[in-house]
Amino acid sequence: MASPTSEVNSTDRAIEVRGLDFGYTAKPVLKDVSFRLEPGAVGLLGPNGSGKTTLLRALMGHLPLPAGKVSVLGRDMAVAARAARRGLGWMPERGGILPGMSGVAMVAYLGELGGMPVTDALQRAHEALNFVGLADERYRMADTYSQGMRQRLKLAQCLVHDPDWLFLDEPTAGLDPRGRLAMLDLVHDLSHAHGFGVILSTHLLADVKAVCDEILVLRDGRVLDHARVDAGAERDTAVFVLEGFGDREAFCAALAARGLEPVPEDRALLVTADADHGPAAVLAAAAASEFALRRLQRRTETLEDLFFKLVDASGDEASGALGALTRGEGGER
Amino acid sequence: MPVYERGYRGWEDSGTRAAPAWWAIARRGILEPLKRRGFLFLLVVAWVPAIVKGGILYFTYKMGEMTKLLGGDWTDITAAGFRSFLEWQTPWVLIILAIIGSGLITKDREENGLALYFARPLGLRDYILGKGLITLFYYFAVTLFPVLALCIFGYLSTQGATGLQMLVATPLRALVYCTLAGTSFSLVLLALSSMGTRTVFVALWWVLLFATEGLAEIMAMFRPELRILDFAGQHTNMGALILGGRSMTGVSPWVSLAVVLGLIAAGLAVLRARVKPVEVVS
Repeated sequence: MASPTSEVNSTDRAIEVRGLDFGYTAKPVLKDVSFRLEPGAVGLLGPNGSGKTTLLRALMGHLPLPAGKVSVLGRDMAVAARAARRGLGWMPERGGILPGMSGVAMVAYLGELGGMPVTDALQRAHEALNFVGLADERYRMADTYSQGMRQRLKLAQCLVHDPDWLFLDEPTAGLDPRGRLAMLDLVHDLSHAHGFGVILSTHLLADVKAVCDEILVLRDGRVLDHARVDAGAERDTAVFVLEGFGDREAFCAALAARGLEPVPEDRALLVTADADHGPAAVLAAAAASEFALRRLQRRTETLEDLFFKLVDASGDEASGALGALTRGEGGER
Repeated sequence: MPVYERGYRGWEDSGTRAAPAWWAIARRGILEPLKRRGFLFLLVVAWVPAIVKGGILYFTYKMGEMTKLLGGDWTDITAAGFRSFLEWQTPWVLIILAIIGSGLITKDREENGLALYFARPLGLRDYILGKGLITLFYYFAVTLFPVLALCIFGYLSTQGATGLQMLVATPLRALVYCTLAGTSFSLVLLALSSMGTRTVFVALWWVLLFATEGLAEIMAMFRPELRILDFAGQHTNMGALILGGRSMTGVSPWVSLAVVLGLIAAGLAVLRARVKPVEVVS
């Protein structure tokens, strides 16, 4: 009889993590990580060593978890990780090739290990390799593939058993610009046209922007923020660069009175404000404080700005900053 | 899917029952080497002693006492006689298993392939069982299978052989012996394979284990009980309990059996410690 914790909710395709702590040694790598993800494209962002790969391994059920709960596809990974892995595809960053096999043999073999009958696995291997654009090279030995082909092969083995979620660890690592775009195109297609849940672990913000709807930012093993990445977020929230002559302190006070918080940057002031109504508020503040405004320039706050702000900030200041800037459009899923 | 269609399609389950993961691993590992002609040739050569013994048995029956000049072991169709045959096969066990087993886990670790295995719904037991069956099959291929063939041939071609002895008792005893020895050899080799990322070094360590016979012989000149250091010898000495015949001087077959069981336990412990989807580098 299945234990209560291993019961499956067949409609639950979500991933939920609560209070997860983990360390390979005494030093913790993940600290009190909590979030919930519905199927979609999620960018797992963080500097090197922030715990991204460890978090993916925890989601795969590869790690003994001393504290916290990880639930994937409605299954508790502490007791039913093997069953849950039927619905997961994993593309490791390093290696991920079985030497001595052709591309199609490797993908078919991994399909069999994923619980597919031999004939189905072979057929699916051909289809998956065709989908990732390796149809012409499928009979070549996998260990002779170029880096770009290896990445595609790893994506194919990830897809062969038709999982619900794909965990992609640095899928564009080592690819040339053309290969990178092609890989991102495939991942985008899988998540947005075919309904796969995708977790894209990377430190390349451009990759996240190209593919993901949500981001999960990690630093030092903690989740700094979890929010949507919307084009609208960039459009509606902007940073304005202000320069001019006059009583700077009075101008700052006038800005503050209108709910704007000026931040000095060299000779200029930076103000984060609503993209549409911000300029009018700034002009009103300048008029009220008799400040001769010489420069009012909008600088769109990019994902890069937000990311660096988060990971460079310390502790609680960082937490929630990204959400405050991006939730205005999409809100938390 | 037509080749011109590049869109993604989900898997439509054919409804055929899927094999367990350990069987998928074992089947592929067993069939793959058989595609190599060189390896097939080696396997055939490994059967030469069995073919020679079969021929001698046949001529012993046809020509009576004349061929007995060749020696008792070649014409012995008792379980103890087959134990001698299994001892002759030791070099082939060394060679065939070195070729088959050295890279079984090493190659998976070389390119982070273990992560791919354990991203599937399989556990450590499936992996070890699957890999272990590959080496066990090839151990059987040069030991148990020739013995079984000789038992059937001996029953059909020699006088005085009873069906009970040749078709039941001896094959069963050979099966028990070969399963124990083969499991030990397999797990030790897999454990070695799990400890490195270069196949050639694993093969070298495997050869060195068999070379302990020479070392043990030298040391036994001073203390006979030091024959316990003979890795392969412990397996054949254990055979005295199961198949009969003389035991090794200085080492009881019971001690050898304990050593073999210890090797099995140690192999499993090493595999348990070394085969992980996540490698932690401290």
